Amino acid sequence: MPDTMPKTGKLRAAFSRVPLLGWLLGILAAVVIEKYLGTDLALGVGLPKIPALFGIDIMLKKPLLVPNAFLYTLLIYALPVGVVGVATAPLANRAAAALIRLPITVPVIVHLALFYVSMHLWAEVSDYRALVLRLTLIAVMLTLSLNVINGYMGEFSCSHPGFMALGAYCASVVTVGLFVDKGMFGIDLLPEGMGPFLFPVALLAGGVLAAVGALVVAVPSFRTRGDYLAIISLAFLFIVKSVIENLEFVRGPRGMSGQPDWAGLPTVFLWTVLCVWTINNYVRSTLGKAMNAIRDNELAADAMTVDTRRTKMVGFLFAAFWAGVAGGLFAHVLRYVNPGTFGIQQLAEVLAMVYFGGLNSVYGSIVGAVSISMLGEALRPLEIFKWIIIPLLLILVMIYRPTGLVAFKDLDAESLLRPKQGPDGGA
Amino acid sequence: MRRGLTLCVCVLAVAMLLSTGWAKEPTIRIGINAPLTGDIPKVGEGTKFAAQLWLEDIKAAGGITVGKKKHPVELIIEDNESKAESAVKVTTKMITEDDILIMVGPQASKQAVPAAGIANNYKTPMITPWSTNPDSTKDKPYVFRACFLDPFQGPVVANFISKEFKFKKAAVLYDVASDYPKGLAEFFRKAWEDINGKGSVVAYESFTTKDTDFSSQLTKIINSGAQVLFTPQYYNEVALIVQQAHQLGWKKPIVGSDSWGSAETIKLCGKDCYGQFFSTHYAAAGATGETKKFIDRYKAKYGYVPDDVAALTWDAMLLAQQAIQSTGALSGDLKKDRDNVRNALSQVKKFQGITGEMTFAGKNDPSKCAVIVKISDAGEFTYYKSVCP
Repeated sequence: MPDTMPKTGKLRAAFSRVPLLGWLLGILAAVVIEKYLGTDLALGVGLPKIPALFGIDIMLKKPLLVPNAFLYTLLIYALPVGVVGVATAPLANRAAAALIRLPITVPVIVHLALFYVSMHLWAEVSDYRALVLRLTLIAVMLTLSLNVINGYMGEFSCSHPGFMALGAYCASVVTVGLFVDKGMFGIDLLPEGMGPFLFPVALLAGGVLAAVGALVVAVPSFRTRGDYLAIISLAFLFIVKSVIENLEFVRGPRGMSGQPDWAGLPTVFLWTVLCVWTINNYVRSTLGKAMNAIRDNELAADAMTVDTRRTKMVGFLFAAFWAGVAGGLFAHVLRYVNPGTFGIQQLAEVLAMVYFGGLNSVYGSIVGAVSISMLGEALRPLEIFKWIIIPLLLILVMIYRPTGLVAFKDLDAESLLRPKQGPDGGA
Repeated sequence: MRRGLTLCVCVLAVAMLLSTGWAKEPTIRIGINAPLTGDIPKVGEGTKFAAQLWLEDIKAAGGITVGKKKHPVELIIEDNESKAESAVKVTTKMITEDDILIMVGPQASKQAVPAAGIANNYKTPMITPWSTNPDSTKDKPYVFRACFLDPFQGPVVANFISKEFKFKKAAVLYDVASDYPKGLAEFFRKAWEDINGKGSVVAYESFTTKDTDFSSQLTKIINSGAQVLFTPQYYNEVALIVQQAHQLGWKKPIVGSDSWGSAETIKLCGKDCYGQFFSTHYAAAGATGETKKFIDRYKAKYGYVPDDVAALTWDAMLLAQQAIQSTGALSGDLKKDRDNVRNALSQVKKFQGITGEMTFAGKNDPSKCAVIVKISDAGEFTYYKSVCP
C-alpha cells in the first residue's frame, strides 16, 4: 500500500493546522448532532439507545454489540469533530488570531464558554452523564490541589480526604442548618430564597475550615523536613473521621442527608475553572517557584532568601482550601455525606490520580483525574477485574513514566489558544 | 472531504430507514444494585445469586405475566463498590440509562440512604432488602424495604435475653464508626434499661471499623460483672470478638443481631460460636416449605447455604414481581408504570415471603416477625423462636 503513507501524512498535517477553537467547534458540532440525531442513529446501528459513555459500557456488557457501539462513536464523535475541525480550520485560525490580540481574558472566556456549551449539551442527553461529569470535575479540583503539595512542594500529604470531609461537613451544616432543617440551629435565620446565593459562602466557609484544619497539621510538621508530614497528615485524617463519627449534631456515622440540590453542572464547572485558574497562577508565581526551589533543595532555597517555612505553610493551606471547597461541592452533588466516605480508599484514589496524571503539572492533574474517573466508571461492568486493570495501568505508568503521564507542565493560556497557521494559512 | 460527507449522509439515511422498522415487546428491566466489590463482597454475591435464581424461574415461565400479556424480563446487575458515591452513580445510571421499572438494593444502609434519595427524586420504586436504618425509607414514598428495622430488632433481643436467661446485667460491644452497629447498640441499650432499670447496661464499649484487637474492651466487660454480651457486628468482627472473649475467660452467652447471619460467621469463628444466639430474618436449618425449597436450590447451584441477604433479596424480587403483576397492565409509559408499581407495593398485604409474612398496608416498612436463631453444635443456624411485633 504505497498510497497510505502520504495520505495519513496529509491528514496529520491537516489536523495540526486546527487550533483549539477549531476543535471546540468540532466538539460542539458533534454534541449538537448527537442531541438531534443521536437516538435515531443509535437505533439505526442496532443499539437500544444513545450509549452513555462512548459505548464502553455496552461493549463490555454485550460483546456482540462492539462493532455497533464503535460505529456509533465513530459517526457521532470522531467524524464530526475531525470534519468540522479541519473544515473550519482556516476560519478558526483567523478568529483565534483576532481574539488573541484582545486582552487574554476575552479569548479565554470565549473558549471556556464554547467548551461549557458543548459539555452542557452532551450532559443534557442523560442525567447520568451530568452526574459523572460533575464528580469528574470535583476530582479534577481535588487532584490539582493535592498536586500543589505532593508535586510542586515535593512533600507527601495524606490528609486530603480529611480536608475534603471538613469542607463537606461545614458546607452541609451551613446549607442544611440554615435552609432545610431549621431545627438544627433552633432559629429561623434566613429566608429560603436566599439559599442559592449563599451557596458560594457555604463553600468558602468549608474551604476556610479545611485551611484551618491544615494549619493544625502544618504547624508541627513543617518544623522539620522528611516523612513527618506524611505521618502527621495520616493521623489528621483519622482524627477528622473519628471526630465526625462522634459528633451527634451531624448525625455521626449515620451521615447527613438532605443537602439542597444547588451543585448543578454550571456551578461545579465555574468552581472548577476558578480552582484551575487560581492554582495555575499560583504555581507560576514567585510563591510557586519558591515551592519548586524548596522541593529541589531546601537549604539552597533558604540561602537564596526564600522564606521556606512561610512558603510551605501558604502552599499547604491553599491546597487544603481547595480540597475543602471540592468537598463541599461533593456533598451537594451526592446530597449525602458520611464519614466513612473520607477514608483511606478516597486517599488512595486521589493519590492515584495525582501520580497517574503527572507530578508538578496542571495538565497532568486534569488528565489523571479525568482518566481515572472515567476508567472507573466505564469499567464498572468488569466488577473485580476493574480493580486489577486500573492498578496495573498505574504500575505500567510508574515503570515507563515515573513522574506520571504529563509531568512538569503548567497551563499557558496564550500558547494554548494561539492560532496554528499552516503553510497556506497566510500571515 | 466530499466523499466523507456523502458517506456520512448515506449512513444516516440508512439509519433512519432502519429505525422506522424498530418495534419490540416491552421488556421489564429490574435493577440490582449490589456491592460486588469493596468491603462486603459476600453480600453482593448473595444478592446477585438470589436475583439470578429468581430470573431462572421467570425465564422458565417465559416472562412475567401482567394482565394478559407476557413480558420478557432483564436484570441489570451493577456493582456499587460498597461506596455511597458509586451507589448514587449506579442508581442514576439504572434509572436514566437502563430504564429500569424497579430497583432492588443497595443492601447496606450507607449506600441505601443516598441511593434512596435518588430513586425517590426520579420517582422510581426501590426495595432495599437488607438496610435496617430508618432513614432509608423515611419521607421517601417510592422506597420500600424487605426487612424489619433496628428500633424493632433492639427490643426483640433485649426482651429475648431477659425472658430466656432472666439476666439483669448486660454488656454491649459495638463499632462506633459504622452506622448499623451503632444504631442497634443504642436501641438495645434503651430497651434493656426500660426492662431492667437504669444502669443495667454495665459496660457499653466501642471500637472503630477494622480494629482487630478487642482485648482491652473485653477485659473491661468481663470485670464489669455483665451476665451477657450483646455485639451487633458483621461476620468478620464477630469471629474475632467471640474468640478473644473466650481466650480471656468469658464463659457467658454472647448474643448478636442479623448481621451475624452470614455463612462466613461459622467459617471464621468455628467452635467458639456454637451455642450462641442471634436475632435475624430467617433460620436456614430446619426450614420448611418454600424456604427449604429456596435453600436447597441455592445450595445445589452455588455450593453453600444462602445467608439472610440472599433470602431477603429473593423476597424483594418476589415482592417486585407481585407488585408488577398486580398493576393489571403495563402501559409502556415508564413514568406511569413506575407510579403504578409503587402504589401496588404500598398495598401489599400478607405477602408470604421465605423470611416471613410481610404487610405494607400504606407504609414503606413491612410489619414482620424476627427469628431468634441458635447456632447448633454442628455450626448450623437453627430456629429457636419467633418474635412478632
